[in-house]
Amino acid sequence: MYPAEIWIFRFVCVAFAVGFGAQIATRLALFLRASNNIRIPDGESGIRIWRVVREVIFQSRTIAERPLVGLAHLGVFWGFCAFLGFTTVEFLHGLGVTDLTRSEWFATYALLLVPFALAVLVGITGLIIRRVFVRPPALGDHLSKESVLIGFFIITLMVTFLLDFTLTEGVAARVNWWVHALVILTFIVVIPGSKHFHLLMSPFSVYLRSSTLATVPNLDFEREQVGLETLKDVERKQVLDAFTCVECGRCQVNCPAHGTGKRLNPKTLVLQNEDALLAGTMDSTLADIFDAKVLWQCTTCGACEMQCPVGVEHLPLIIGARRGLVSNGAAPDAMGVVYNDLERRGNIWGLGADQREKFVQAAGLDIFDSAKHEYLMWLGCAGSFEADFQKSLRSLFRILRARGITFGVLARERCTGDVAKRTGNEYVFQQLAHANINDFRAAGVRKILTSCPHCLRTIGVDYQEFGFVVEVVHSTVLVAAITRDLSVPATDRVTFHDPCYLGRYAGQTEEPRVLLQRFGASIAEPVRHGANPFCCGAGGGLLFEEHEEGKRISQERFEQLQATGAETIVTACPFCSIMLKSAQASANSAVEFVDVMTFVEGKLKTVQ
Amino acid sequence: MILVIAEQQNGTLNRTSLETLAAAQQTGREVKVAVAGRHAAAVAAVLAAAQVAEVLSVEAAALDIYTLDGYVAALAQVVKSERPDHVFLPHTYQTRDFAPALAVRLGMALVTDCVGTRWQDGSLIAARPMFQGRLYADVAPMGPALVTFQIGAVRADSLVNGSTPAPVRTVPVTVDLGAIRQKPEAPFREAKQAVDLTQAERIVSVGRGIKAQDKIEMARQLAAAIGAELGASRPICDAGWLPMDRQVGSSGQTVAPKLYLALGISGAIQHLVGMKGARTIVAINKDPEAPIFEIADYGIVGDLFEIVPAILKELQG
Repeated sequence: MYPAEIWIFRFVCVAFAVGFGAQIATRLALFLRASNNIRIPDGESGIRIWRVVREVIFQSRTIAERPLVGLAHLGVFWGFCAFLGFTTVEFLHGLGVTDLTRSEWFATYALLLVPFALAVLVGITGLIIRRVFVRPPALGDHLSKESVLIGFFIITLMVTFLLDFTLTEGVAARVNWWVHALVILTFIVVIPGSKHFHLLMSPFSVYLRSSTLATVPNLDFEREQVGLETLKDVERKQVLDAFTCVECGRCQVNCPAHGTGKRLNPKTLVLQNEDALLAGTMDSTLADIFDAKVLWQCTTCGACEMQCPVGVEHLPLIIGARRGLVSNGAAPDAMGVVYNDLERRGNIWGLGADQREKFVQAAGLDIFDSAKHEYLMWLGCAGSFEADFQKSLRSLFRILRARGITFGVLARERCTGDVAKRTGNEYVFQQLAHANINDFRAAGVRKILTSCPHCLRTIGVDYQEFGFVVEVVHSTVLVAAITRDLSVPATDRVTFHDPCYLGRYAGQTEEPRVLLQRFGASIAEPVRHGANPFCCGAGGGLLFEEHEEGKRISQERFEQLQATGAETIVTACPFCSIMLKSAQASANSAVEFVDVMTFVEGKLKTVQ
Repeated sequence: MILVIAEQQNGTLNRTSLETLAAAQQTGREVKVAVAGRHAAAVAAVLAAAQVAEVLSVEAAALDIYTLDGYVAALAQVVKSERPDHVFLPHTYQTRDFAPALAVRLGMALVTDCVGTRWQDGSLIAARPMFQGRLYADVAPMGPALVTFQIGAVRADSLVNGSTPAPVRTVPVTVDLGAIRQKPEAPFREAKQAVDLTQAERIVSVGRGIKAQDKIEMARQLAAAIGAELGASRPICDAGWLPMDRQVGSSGQTVAPKLYLALGISGAIQHLVGMKGARTIVAINKDPEAPIFEIADYGIVGDLFEIVPAILKELQG
């Protein structure tokens, strides 16, 4: 290095550092001015550090969804990490701080970097080919020139690094060194304003992501919270998410609304949030930023959040914005009717309590008595009123009785508030939740059994925020546990539709399958199953939606299930059942539907 | 004396006012009827045909366009000067808007949504539904009251007309335009769906039991024969066999016709909640277990392809 070179390099570094720092300062200010919604429950930091190791260092989510692309990315990422020391040494040398480049270990280190450099070259070349020539829809309609440029930056870095081995002294070596250094500096300045900010932010966003899918904390009415109305109300984690998003489109590809031709695209929402934050239009309403119609196309299936490799949480943003709309009276008309029914009659269909009573009597159910019954059987709206689901519950009751499980029901029930919670009517949700929790406490309930995955989530997870912690179990899990001693030879070819709130939300993908196989089913899996099912279209209040843009989600799912060639579709959620049966009716197909409980009960008769 | 406040818009009488007027006549007391707003005089002339003691035409420039403050100010003056025993009103949207304020202004009780009245020891007793119509409460107001009548509770054709037109008296009222806080904008009608099933008196509705799109023609003929609108359950509309605006149910229109004829509809809950308000439900379905029979008044278990042609033959021949 010539002394003049050192001074020029120092000046260049300061200039680039100012460029980088100014962009960071803008984003940090936006983060700090937002209200703080970051809470880490006691004793969770260990779990979360382990998550960062898994998902950031080993890129488990990046690879799980797209193995080839994920591995290419892993190569680039590890290459970057490996080069950190090399770059530091070279910069220290360039700035004239200290020269370690001549030490023996540095030569060894540089040699060890060669395989990493090759891995990066292979990875980045693959990724550029994918972006420029394959053009997967997840990456958007327009080719991101910035990403291509950065790709070539990375290639330049690796090539200049490898060239350095052949150029020992002279002008060529100096030019090579300067090209390498200037590309690194330019890259650093480009980072904050581009999707590459995820390099710095994703460890934080992954660490800060809630451990429970779709965590949308209660509003505090004492503090006059009404949800997200304007950009000002967007909270810190959402600001972080907006800047972290790597625009990979995994959310988009997995979104059932987007997949059926609707305008909703979870990736677009996050990027619109980023653009609005940077534009600084803090008083613009979220309905204007996002297009209110789009916000009502979300089924809250959770696929976007579940697949995001950088810890973005979409549901707090979508449900938060819905809350802002609802508190301004801007809910869709169909929801107005449901809210009325929930307030007046305490159920989503506005039916009379006498109809539930009729079912309770006809099915010979006892009123829950904590001295006599182990489980409180929670019927839910569908169990109280929907004839098809009641058939499934009757099967469940017969199984429980046959296996000696004691259970009773409450004299009266209200909706858990699932629809109200997911559509942003927090006031009605909390009213229902408080009333139900009071009833549970008064009855001395310790274990709750339900066949509805939405009730499972709401009582089991959302009610915890009110300090009500109880064991809630889905019927498939309990019945799987109490029939271990039984088995039936396989005769039926079925497919199983995982409900989002059972498979993805509760992670209960094994139990229903074990249960079906035990009772003689061989399962043909549809394209999306297990922890990443394709929604039926009913969640998030969309059961009540009048017109669906594009193709009906239920229709798409029904066709996926039909494509397995199975004779029977097994469901485990009343809402999935309503949606898919309706889709079948329009498809005029002969495939049969059966709820998992009815299937098991039919087989149980043959072995007892 | 009972004072009835009739409702009109642009010179057209709201027909529910006649029901309220009939309810007032049935009390056996002297009845006066007042009507306010622009064109009140024209409506007063129509009302004068009824057997009433007097028709009051309430006119003031400030009443040209309906406002809550304007109506409360004007009608309070009329009630104060006429001193009726009770005031009867139809339970319309407009009444729901101004009647509570008028009651407060006059210090009178307000009994809403009544289905009938009777007298007991010289006091008025009004019956009104409670708990979604499962029970009826007798309400005995202390002193003069405003009583609103549920639409359809009293038949308009029971109104008794006078042998000669009743006298019409113009009642001048003073309403301070500046004191009206509401600033109404030009009225507009929300774009209606092409098919408004909510107003239909009879509906023939088809479900997936219809099996094929060309079979819908049979249902259409039946609908035409009995003057009914054609409706459908969700699968039919999803399949595109009928347009979405014919869909009945929680994700379609909520209907309450006098007659609902369900052809091949199983009665999934999403459909039931949209038509459970129908007065008479007739269901035809193959499956005797179908939930539709739970709420049907008349049920036929059988093949609709045999039954519907038979009904058509009967109707046409």
